[in-house]
Amino acid sequence: MVRKVGKVAVAMSGGVDSAVAALLLRDEGHEVAGVTMCLGVVPAEGGKAKCCGPREIEDARSVCRALGIRHYVVDFAADLEEKVIRPFVAEYCRGRTPNPCVACNRSIKFGSLLEKALAWGFESIATGHYAAIEVENGVHRLKRPKDLRKDQTYFLHAIPREALSRVRFPLAGYAKDEVREIAKRAALPVFDKPESQDICFIPEEGHAAFLKSRGAFIGPGEIVDGEGRILGEHRGIACYTIGQRGGLGISSPEPLYVLAIDAPRNRLVVGPKGAVKSSWLTADRVNCLVDAFPEEALAKIRYAHRAARCRISQEGERLTVRFAEPQEAVAPGQSVVLYDGPTVLGGGIIQEAHIGTC
Amino acid sequence: MNQIYMDYAATTPTDKRVVAAMLPYFEEVFGNPSSLHAFGQEAGAAVEGARARIASFLGATPPEIIFTSGGTESDNFAIKGVAYANRKRGDHIITSSIEHRAVLETCRFLEVEGFRVTYLPVNGEGLVDPAAVAGAITDRTVLVSIMHANNEIGTIQPIAEIGKLVREREIYFHTDAVQTFGHLPLKPAELNVDLLSASAHKLYGPKGAGMLYIRKGTRVVPFMNGGEQEGGRRASTLNVPGIVGFGKAVELAGGELAEETARLTALRDRFIRGLADRVEGIRLNGHPVLRLPNSVSISVPHVEGEGMLLSLDMMGIACSTGSACSSAGVEASHVLTAIGQPPELAHGSLRFSLGRSTKESDIDAVLETLPPIVARLRNMANRYG
Repeated sequence: MVRKVGKVAVAMSGGVDSAVAALLLRDEGHEVAGVTMCLGVVPAEGGKAKCCGPREIEDARSVCRALGIRHYVVDFAADLEEKVIRPFVAEYCRGRTPNPCVACNRSIKFGSLLEKALAWGFESIATGHYAAIEVENGVHRLKRPKDLRKDQTYFLHAIPREALSRVRFPLAGYAKDEVREIAKRAALPVFDKPESQDICFIPEEGHAAFLKSRGAFIGPGEIVDGEGRILGEHRGIACYTIGQRGGLGISSPEPLYVLAIDAPRNRLVVGPKGAVKSSWLTADRVNCLVDAFPEEALAKIRYAHRAARCRISQEGERLTVRFAEPQEAVAPGQSVVLYDGPTVLGGGIIQEAHIGTC
Repeated sequence: MNQIYMDYAATTPTDKRVVAAMLPYFEEVFGNPSSLHAFGQEAGAAVEGARARIASFLGATPPEIIFTSGGTESDNFAIKGVAYANRKRGDHIITSSIEHRAVLETCRFLEVEGFRVTYLPVNGEGLVDPAAVAGAITDRTVLVSIMHANNEIGTIQPIAEIGKLVREREIYFHTDAVQTFGHLPLKPAELNVDLLSASAHKLYGPKGAGMLYIRKGTRVVPFMNGGEQEGGRRASTLNVPGIVGFGKAVELAGGELAEETARLTALRDRFIRGLADRVEGIRLNGHPVLRLPNSVSISVPHVEGEGMLLSLDMMGIACSTGSACSSAGVEASHVLTAIGQPPELAHGSLRFSLGRSTKESDIDAVLETLPPIVARLRNMANRYG
């Protein structure tokens, strides 16, 4: 007999990962329903499929039909606008490089969606993220998944700690190719669907066009070196990220990197490779997924970053992270995520990157 | 889990007696009514029997009944059929802003084709003002199309009165009676309509069968070209089992109509009173009296309709909501918008529609279930309780 182990709402994006997450839970005996968030994201005419667009809703529906589970489409467009898109635009205008997936996971998926799902009568929600939740001595911990190449814990560090006991990541123990294999064997209609890599609400024309459409100022300005000497002209600061090399249109004996974005003066500060390294940073909007941060940990400062050894100190809402070795391209607006081995300790949003010792 | 179906306005289960009537027409009497042999003649007789039954229910003659695939086709047929057939007389159509999409989208299509369409507003209870219809008529008007009762809010229009005014001006009048056919007494002659759309699956008949009443002498172009079926106005092999089922459904509805209307009206009013007592701030959409006997449309302030629908569905209760997710986010229902409801209220709308299997205990079960759901959704502050 199949053991009934609770009603789970699976956030279905229309992709293969959430489809297999739903399948695995169903086969474990859970009462599963698919929930797709309608985010009001309209793809450009003839544009390729985007996460959360109308075609993705259709894909999610057909997956649920194939799985024999219920499917609901629920509006989150206003939520996304208020909690993700507006702050995203504001951060860019301040010369930062925000990570909207971090904000969406915190405020939408594991914020309002979870809250609503519980109110609708579900006991937990599940997603197709590559991450794990383990219970240690009765305490829920966020952990890295089996497939470390797909590890998405970087984007999940900000989810409310109290949410962990209500969240399931069924793909924790699976590699991506195993997930595709499961989908193929179950003849799920999305088994060979390509991965979506982009930010779901950014149209194909890219960041700059989107920010412009949102009223952000995107205009040319000066490119200067550390001493303030003008070296050239940029296309608009939102088109650049810290640590970026090339695309500057400047000829120089040594390669130049973007060191800083000076939004008030619409300026880009560039310099040689050595100058792009930071030895420490400060972060705010700190989220702690354990009782307290340890003094030492590993820190990731962007998704593709190899975690680096660091020392941590926290004063109220402010986190200071000092690296054992200086790190390249620490970009304000991105997250610093702290790890102790496989355990995600939490993290914060980078405010300032510093050179030298503090 | 005990399931309660309260979405009869979307569709009804096919009555067992209807299914029984249809069964012989799949394997035994399978002939094509257009065929000249005995197989065809027997099938044709069954179709004509259904036609006669439906005609008699409407107080019409059999040739005035054209079988279609359902309500949407009937609306398309009526509106395009009259518009194109009378193009020399005029190019203006009058309808209301709360019509079913089968009517509205057909009108939009005709606008692209060069017709002009007036979409009349309705009042806060969803009523079309007959004087406004008369006032909108010009010497170019060829058709007025106003629905008999609204599918979302249940408001019943003064069709007979509108029809009288329209007929005085010698203009064709169509009504979409998909929600009322088989549920209310319905005689085209009394309603002063020239065309009337109906669908079998709203009255315990099968899906895929419908009809258009076309009053004798009405000029319409054929909807489908091909064979000589339906007097050449709607070519296509007749859906014999569907038509037979439709005929049976009409026979059953006609026999039970007065009794069932009284029973549903009592249940509906008990439901409305119960909701008003139990859910703070609730608003009944549509007209309090001039409404379908089975329709309860409400708006609940500060709660999303889809959240209530989902929660009820988890508890085995099926209803519908006015707001629908589209590519541009959630759009409030055009009907609720037309009756002047602000989007935040329209997003909290639910429609319960009752039917033959609805019992008093079902009403009471929903009255027990919905208020705690509303309370929970209104108060989501207690996170992860």
